[in-house]
Amino acid sequence: MWQFFHKLGSPRWFYEISGRWLPWLALLTAALLLTGAVWGLAYAPPDFKQGNSFRIIYFHVPASAVSMACYMVMAMAGAVSLIWRMKLAEVVMKCCAPIGASITFIALVSGAIWGKPTWGTWWVWDARITSVLVLFFLYLGVLALYEAFDNKEAAGKACAVLSLVGCVNIPIIYWSVEWWYSLHQPATIKFTEQSSMHPDMLQPLLVMIAGFYCFFAVALLLYTRSEILFRERNTKWVRALVEKSVG
Amino acid sequence: MHPVRKQRLMVVLFILFGAAVAVALITFALRDNINLFYSPLEIAEGKAPVGTQIRAGGMVLEGSIKRDPNSLRVDFIVTDYAAQVPVSYTGILPDLFAEGQGVVAAGKLNSSGLFEATEVLAKHDENYMPPEVQSAVDAAAETLSP
Amino acid sequence: MDNQQPTVSIAAVFGATLRRDLTIAYRRRGDFVNPLIFFLMVCSLFPMGVGPDPKQLAQLAPGILWVVALLACLLSSDNLFRSDYDDGSLEQMLLSPVSLYIQVLAKAMSYWLLTGFPLALIAPLLGLLLHLPATGMLALVVSMGLGTVSLSLIGAIGAALTVGLRKGGLLISLIVLPLYIPVLIFGVSAVQRAVDGLSYAGPLAVLGAFLALALTLAPLAIAASVRISVDN
Repeated sequence: MWQFFHKLGSPRWFYEISGRWLPWLALLTAALLLTGAVWGLAYAPPDFKQGNSFRIIYFHVPASAVSMACYMVMAMAGAVSLIWRMKLAEVVMKCCAPIGASITFIALVSGAIWGKPTWGTWWVWDARITSVLVLFFLYLGVLALYEAFDNKEAAGKACAVLSLVGCVNIPIIYWSVEWWYSLHQPATIKFTEQSSMHPDMLQPLLVMIAGFYCFFAVALLLYTRSEILFRERNTKWVRALVEKSVG
Repeated sequence: MHPVRKQRLMVVLFILFGAAVAVALITFALRDNINLFYSPLEIAEGKAPVGTQIRAGGMVLEGSIKRDPNSLRVDFIVTDYAAQVPVSYTGILPDLFAEGQGVVAAGKLNSSGLFEATEVLAKHDENYMPPEVQSAVDAAAETLSP
Repeated sequence: MDNQQPTVSIAAVFGATLRRDLTIAYRRRGDFVNPLIFFLMVCSLFPMGVGPDPKQLAQLAPGILWVVALLACLLSSDNLFRSDYDDGSLEQMLLSPVSLYIQVLAKAMSYWLLTGFPLALIAPLLGLLLHLPATGMLALVVSMGLGTVSLSLIGAIGAALTVGLRKGGLLISLIVLPLYIPVLIFGVSAVQRAVDGLSYAGPLAVLGAFLALALTLAPLAIAASVRISVDN
């Protein structure tokens, strides 16, 4: 167990092992996303009230789920990098931020596009939408902080602290926003929350969620691998790799 | 004990103390009914304060709406199927206000048990109930059928 | 003196750091009034922006006062560690054998005494300018008194993270503003409730809970950030 942990700290070992996983994971991702998209967009029955516009749920819900999970991964990697000074964890944390920000952005935009036909407006200050917006802000803060440092090692540590602070704050922020919203419930907005979803609609959604998680893993691996190469560009093994690929 | 360790211990104790205070205050805030939202059952049981601004919610009882022909005053009964609270409101009601609909009313309870609303919000979708109303109805249903 | 054996107590460290920072601030009295002037100026911009109608202003007043006080806290927090960083005293703090946690806590508290506390005290005056009903005044002072401590502590995290950077000013806002949201929500709602004639003990208790958490947890993050910035 400890040996595995120790090995995981070595960027080179990670680079090599992840190179072996990557094609399979990418294949699985493509299969899941394709199945889910075709199934959800073409074969799932239209909603009895919203017709076909509900189908954006197949992008919106998975994106929202991953946007949250990504922050958890980032904060955990940040904690590991601070406590055990593991280089790899720092790289992973750094790579989570842009991916998380993009996915959160997708969740917000797809939500807005869904809101237009359903609620008749692009934006509603709903508790959940507001929380996701705040999550987006937190990602932007981490990104901005990382970019501001010239010394990337210090940048990694600073971002790790910030992501941990954010992690402590996220439940508080969510709770506050929800409470705030329950005080200001507007009377005219039509909600289409259904506690139970028909299985024909739910199954493709689950496939899409799994697909998005895998996509996140693939994107994170790719990003981490390129960052490792960049950081270790002066080491022997990276040079050997480059020479081999250049020929 | 080593002084550095002692300082560290003090800091840890301080953090634990802070967490305990935070939990105590949050518990107090939640017990204080921070939303000031009361269900008809709670009002009937006398849990809601009289004469201060609160919010109440439930369903409008079928056949209970009485409109005053000479003014904008409307009287109706809000129920969670366990208890009923008479509500009076003067003003323009939202379009969606109807019998059997979920409503949230803000106003004061007077000493005779009449809820004098200053604001009435109606809920749009028949499938959707505001979570507070839903939980109030559920809670009432539970107390009725033990 | 043996470096490994701190001979001073926690209270002495806290007191000495607090006294030092307050003395420095007293010698530079000009800096102390800047956030207050900012508060006054921005609040007086609002009537010009949204119109002088007293009714409308009264409705917006709790939100305006809280948002502007929050910005005043935020913008001044940039200076919290700056001069100590420049003259090397921050490094000395790291080297001293006493707990960094206590030292940064004392610094954040002295900073609150110099910004948040006066902001809370002059808030009713600005409330008058914005036609905030008299029933909301007490809640305004108390909620701001409680809330600005949390704001100062959270702001100190941002300040400590960015102190080594030349372009700190705007960056600190990006980092800290999302973290301010809970305090803002409950601060405004305490004032709003008081204006509506409701009991505002609930939101105040929540602000108190935030304060307890910020007081105990934020110094950990501030101390870690100071270490990173100084090592950088």
